[in-house]
Amino acid sequence: MAVSTILRTVKQAIWLGWKIDTNWADPLVFAIYYLIRPLAGLLIVGFIFLIGSGVAGTFNPDYFAFMFIGNSFFIYVVQIMMSMSILIHEDRSHYEVLRHIYLTPGSLRWYILGRALNGVLNATVSLILTLGFGLLIFQVLLGVQMSINWWGIDFPLLALSLFIGMFCFLALGFMLCGINIMTSRVQFMLTEYVSGTLYLFGGVVFLPEILPSWGQAITNALPITYFLRGIRFAILHQAGFDVQTNLLYLVLTTVGAVILGLGVFKIAEHKARKDGLIDRKEEY
Amino acid sequence: MREQLIRNLKVVYARLWVRVKGGNREPEWLIAELIIPMLTLSAYVYLYKMLNAPPEYGGFVIIGGTMVAFWSNVLWNMSAQFYWEKETGSLEVYLVAPISRMAILLGMALGGIVNTTLRAVAILVAGALIFQVPFALQEPLTALLMFFLTIIALYALGMLFASLFMLYGREAWHTASLLQEPVYLFSGLYFPVNQLPFVVQLVASLIPLTFGLDGIRRVIILGEGIADIWLNVAVLVVFILILLPLAKFALNYMENLGKKEGRLTLRWQ
Repeated sequence: MAVSTILRTVKQAIWLGWKIDTNWADPLVFAIYYLIRPLAGLLIVGFIFLIGSGVAGTFNPDYFAFMFIGNSFFIYVVQIMMSMSILIHEDRSHYEVLRHIYLTPGSLRWYILGRALNGVLNATVSLILTLGFGLLIFQVLLGVQMSINWWGIDFPLLALSLFIGMFCFLALGFMLCGINIMTSRVQFMLTEYVSGTLYLFGGVVFLPEILPSWGQAITNALPITYFLRGIRFAILHQAGFDVQTNLLYLVLTTVGAVILGLGVFKIAEHKARKDGLIDRKEEY
Repeated sequence: MREQLIRNLKVVYARLWVRVKGGNREPEWLIAELIIPMLTLSAYVYLYKMLNAPPEYGGFVIIGGTMVAFWSNVLWNMSAQFYWEKETGSLEVYLVAPISRMAILLGMALGGIVNTTLRAVAILVAGALIFQVPFALQEPLTALLMFFLTIIALYALGMLFASLFMLYGREAWHTASLLQEPVYLFSGLYFPVNQLPFVVQLVASLIPLTFGLDGIRRVIILGEGIADIWLNVAVLVVFILILLPLAKFALNYMENLGKKEGRLTLRWQ
């Protein structure tokens, strides 16, 4: 397929995703919507941390920063998984346009990529708003100490970790799209399964060392572990952290995720066409 | 009058049956509804463990996690139900039938309570066994009273929301979505709400789940009795007395508004 066709498909899909996501509300309501859920999630964990530390009698600002950064950047996982998981269901059963998209000169996978990239953009907006309001509430209003030097962020490492991490999450999203093409009515639970597993085992809000050994083995196999470690080091600069090794593990696990995600999607797409599932109707 | 009552009771049973049958027909849904809440609540229990908080805080999370199931059910299978019905074309069938809309909602609520109670008990047992949560239950009847009052108040709130969501399209979807995490936060699903800042407690007092959850935790985990939690009981009764008539009024009002504006049969909004 010509590069210009691919780029046009991706661009139009991003634009379509943006319009679908935003045209039900005015920009202010939309911004509030994209702020409130992740911010509430951050406040839940923040209050658990503060209350737990209060009854235990010790407060560790380094752990708080660990939790703050981990929970905030987890927004990418939630948004991308949600965008990509419900995409097939929405386009096939709800709006009934998947078959039309399938017939166009652009490929379905580039269309999905475009819609997913819109999810990345939305997640970035959510992240920036959540970090800003999270800092305002915890640091300014509640006076919580946080050992973060916002002027000393290692931006190249942050950008590199984000870039590789996005590949990984998009690949996992393609896997969910593949499963959704083959199945029906599991789109929401799939998102929750993947997000929940990554949240529990990915070292998002607590140190993975507290998990049982089998849990730590899962942690070590997940790309999000290395993604969040890279992000945290770029922002918090913890001593004794081996950046190169972490990046190597992040790349290796991401390659694994890409092979798995695109492989599942390719097989599912082929089988869906063979079995006539591209225009399957569910409850509509 | 008697005939009308019998007809509406049949409606309640019919809607309950559909809800129970539909909610349990697919094993993967059942498994998902047990496993998925466990993932998040396990993360919060581990966070408390990392902070060396006392074990009863793990218990607070487990009890909160079981009540999440009810709140999700109220939001997605009660409040947003008329939105789904509109999308599938069933809403107009309900509206032309000679039955009470409240009977349909009551059937949905009872079916939802049956389904969700089964899942909530499983989450409670699994959570308690996995994390060895210490229970100090002295008055089981008080715990049951608190539980039922909480559930009735929650589903009454769901009935009120159902009328609001009946007219809307994607706004209903997004509103239901928006009412998840903020309610988890304000109702103190994962921590005792009395340790939050005053402003947050003020907002929390507008949600019946806050009082119900607080009462249930105090009875089950802290071993308190009816003499200690009578205020929670009284507040929940007040919530029920306000929300149920309000739901009926709102349902009639929104239905009439929907008819005037021709929005009851709109799809793909």
